[in-house]
Amino acid sequence: MSAPVPPPQPSSSATSADVADLYKEIFTGQQAALEVVSTGRLSQVGARPPIGTYLKQLWGRRHFLWAEARAKVTSGTRETLLGQAWLVISPILNGLAYYLIFGLILNTSRGIENFLGYLVIGVFLFQFTTQCVTNGAKSIQSGRNLIRAFSFPRASLPISVVLRSMLNLVPTLAAMLLIIVLLPPAEAWTTASLLFPIVLVLQVMLATGLALLFARMTTVIPDLSQLLGVAMRIWLYASAVFFSIDRFAEYPSIVGIMEANPMFMVLDAARDCLLYATVPDAGTWIGLSAWSVGALVVGFLFFWQGEESYGRA
Amino acid sequence: MAEPESNPFAQATVAVQNVHVRYRVPSTDAAERRRGANFVKRAARTVLGNDPKVLVRALSGISFVAKSGEQIGLVGQNGSGKSTLLRIIAGLENPARGRVLAESTPVLIGVNAALVPDLSGEQNIRLGCLAMGLSPEQAEEAVPDVKQLAGLGKSIYLPMKTYSSGMGARLRFAIATAANPHILLIDEALATGDAAFRERSEARMQRLRQGAGTVFLVSHAAQTIEESCTRAIWLNKGRLVLDGPAQDVALRYRKWAWAVAKDKPDEAKQIIEKAFSEREQTHVHVEDTKQPRQYTARHVRAPKNARPTAQRK
Repeated sequence: MSAPVPPPQPSSSATSADVADLYKEIFTGQQAALEVVSTGRLSQVGARPPIGTYLKQLWGRRHFLWAEARAKVTSGTRETLLGQAWLVISPILNGLAYYLIFGLILNTSRGIENFLGYLVIGVFLFQFTTQCVTNGAKSIQSGRNLIRAFSFPRASLPISVVLRSMLNLVPTLAAMLLIIVLLPPAEAWTTASLLFPIVLVLQVMLATGLALLFARMTTVIPDLSQLLGVAMRIWLYASAVFFSIDRFAEYPSIVGIMEANPMFMVLDAARDCLLYATVPDAGTWIGLSAWSVGALVVGFLFFWQGEESYGRA
Repeated sequence: MAEPESNPFAQATVAVQNVHVRYRVPSTDAAERRRGANFVKRAARTVLGNDPKVLVRALSGISFVAKSGEQIGLVGQNGSGKSTLLRIIAGLENPARGRVLAESTPVLIGVNAALVPDLSGEQNIRLGCLAMGLSPEQAEEAVPDVKQLAGLGKSIYLPMKTYSSGMGARLRFAIATAANPHILLIDEALATGDAAFRERSEARMQRLRQGAGTVFLVSHAAQTIEESCTRAIWLNKGRLVLDGPAQDVALRYRKWAWAVAKDKPDEAKQIIEKAFSEREQTHVHVEDTKQPRQYTARHVRAPKNARPTAQRK
């Protein structure tokens, strides 16, 4: 058919919005024009949405989060000869280094049963938390290009950092389990091992909460990123990564503080599940859950409150 | 070219109400170092190597309302607040005073070239589409279109950090228009494109405006504004000098810029003062309506030619 299609007739009657625009007609004759707009049709830009909407927006961006995390994981090793293989090789080499130094040369078991397993679980799992917190704190800075280009819920950036660390954790975990099962003294799988994923979930929640918390804090006080490295090192030593908490048996107050430390609980629970074939006690579960849920809720609310401030360079 | 005056019923898409923006930034000005501040503060500055902070008024008292179908050019010297105004409209920053209302989320195309420098142009297209909230299927669909508009040939598969600024700008423009934004803000991004790309991008902007959208364009070149815009806003030192038809504003701005360039401050002052006095001041009044909307939302209406036209009873 070649008949020209007539343009559709305007269907608008005089609605409130149109009446609002009529005001302009009336007032333009004067030196000061009055423009009347109504919030029914226009909404404020850059305003922080209510928490429910914010969560919904965040869920809507899940594909973006996933794509960003995946892209960043591989971009780190892109210019090496072995490429992605490094994601698997480097944790294995790391584990072997610990085996060489602590297991064979120093032999510093100091009464810890399966010290190598103890050490590897401590180092690898703690590394995940360190990565999440330090990179999470930098996420607003390093994502500035994206922030300036697109408007999306800014919590996407620290959360994407956690996702990236989780992707990095997969080969690390595989190396860790291999070392525990293969190298002497070899451990066998038990039913308690099945609880390990739950420990991991709690650890991820804790790390996400901290990443969100520090992401906003470093935008307010940039100096924090300098301090964070030191703080993480102190936390590492306070979480019984290299030694047993039994050293401090005679100082109950120190033991009490260390046992309230969420990363100690994570490592303790993980070792119970994987090495000692025992189910972690109820106190650890309750304490760790409280820390994880608390950190996530506080971190998220704190980050959400600053949503309007991240665009500023 | 569509003339905004002929259509008083064009809907308001962006309302900027008395916006003020200030920054506190370190200054190396020696006079600033000597001024004010007691001895202790000055000593602390010297020890810490910090520069004194000065207050910069980037924008003061900007008000205007943009309508659908308008292409608005922003002219002014470097540092006159054009880019700041765009960032405020995009909601990436919040003003110290005043507010900005918009009909939908504005999309800003800035000058910093790379989004994620390590990723290829193709991966950046996907990531950008997802960041704007497209689903993975929609993003996949948009990729060929974006590639074609950007017209980078095989370079689209290279890492974005290897792009020239012009190539980066082309890709960003293509990505930003993939989601068919109603409000598009362009910050000098097209200045670096070549002639062929300019033609394609202008066709694209025309299409956006016909879909009842609004385009903001920043450019130093008054000629570009004159040729492609329907309305222009002249900013000088954070103040609105003139707001009116593009031809008139751009011509006056060119005369003023010529006078400044030829070192004729008196003439320049005369031009700018005349413009100031002839300016029609706009007061934006925002009605806070909480009632349910009586009209059909824009995105529910037929996509094309649905703009209500002038009809008087």
